[in-house]
Amino acid sequence: MSAARFVRASWSVRACEIATGVILAWAGLAKIGDLATFAGQIHNFRILPVAFENLAAMTLPWIEIVVALTLLFGIRSRDGARTALVLLVVFTLAVVAAVARGLDIECGCFGTADASHVGWRKIAENLGMIAIAAVAARGPALPLTERLSGAARLETGDARP
Amino acid sequence: MSDPTTTATTVPGARTALRGMALLCLAGAALGTGYNALGLEARDGWGLPWIGRDRLAELEASATVVGSSSAGTTTSADPYVTQISDPRAVLAGAGSGLPEIPAADHPVQIEREALRQYVDAGAALVVDAREPQEYEAGHIPGAVSLPYDQVATDRQRLEQLDTGGRPIVIYCGGGACELSLSLAWDLVYSGHARVAVYMGGYPDWLAVGLPVVTGTEP
Repeated sequence: MSAARFVRASWSVRACEIATGVILAWAGLAKIGDLATFAGQIHNFRILPVAFENLAAMTLPWIEIVVALTLLFGIRSRDGARTALVLLVVFTLAVVAAVARGLDIECGCFGTADASHVGWRKIAENLGMIAIAAVAARGPALPLTERLSGAARLETGDARP
Repeated sequence: MSDPTTTATTVPGARTALRGMALLCLAGAALGTGYNALGLEARDGWGLPWIGRDRLAELEASATVVGSSSAGTTTSADPYVTQISDPRAVLAGAGSGLPEIPAADHPVQIEREALRQYVDAGAALVVDAREPQEYEAGHIPGAVSLPYDQVATDRQRLEQLDTGGRPIVIYCGGGACELSLSLAWDLVYSGHARVAVYMGGYPDWLAVGLPVVTGTEP
């Protein structure tokens, strides 16, 4: 099966939706348990102004959980997959920025139980997750603008095989 | 696809896609804010009251500056001073005429001259928040190394930090003093009441030629 067919097959999209949903639900739940630590981990990235760190720590895990629920239950799952994709890209950029500045800090990606530090390995993991989320968002190798505007055509065509 | 409603929502294109994503993010943000507003995550110093607050600005605006002319005797009536139970605190600080580092729910600032007196008397637990290599290259005499990047997520280590009943003075590499401030707040949240930050940090200490120690020992 070619990559393009894999991306278009509905079962692979569904599988990737569930995989992304499980990952995000796990990440979100792990963070909600210890807000203070997560806020500290955000602070370590030195990306956000200090004033926004707590707001991010309060809301990010819940956004992850809402997105995970849409993906797991298949309700508005395309919106969920796109949001997951954006979140993962932003997280990956944060890790890349931290690595580029030589920060040796905990990722905080999966809460306190996960003591993994930022580094190339984490970036590779994230790229893998981005790929899965991209399939869930039905992301064939088309330019984003064309994908967004052409999505309807593709999908209606797909709906009546 | 199998879900006609999803297909329908994506028909108008990018704008609808963005609206859908924004909706999910708003729903998540609302849940998170609500969860914290209801006090389900009740922890001092974190949560709703901290949105929009800048710890650095807070410190500079409100803090007692130990050792400056404005501090002085105003803190001597602090009720917490008499509640210190560790006998070593009495040995270290009693009758020494040191400027008082008051017990507070926030860190205070300490001036260089006051810190020098504390260092000479050994009356404070001086903490170096910088990286171990920086500590090794030179630190304030008696300072212990507590690199912020290592202890930030290790709350137990902060809670169990043995101060010998003395106040804690934290310094780092100066500048915006981010490491010191973050560590100071973490120590306050970990139950330490008398925490001071030396905003000038190591560069300020060096600049006036005060003694330093190199190596891994305090």
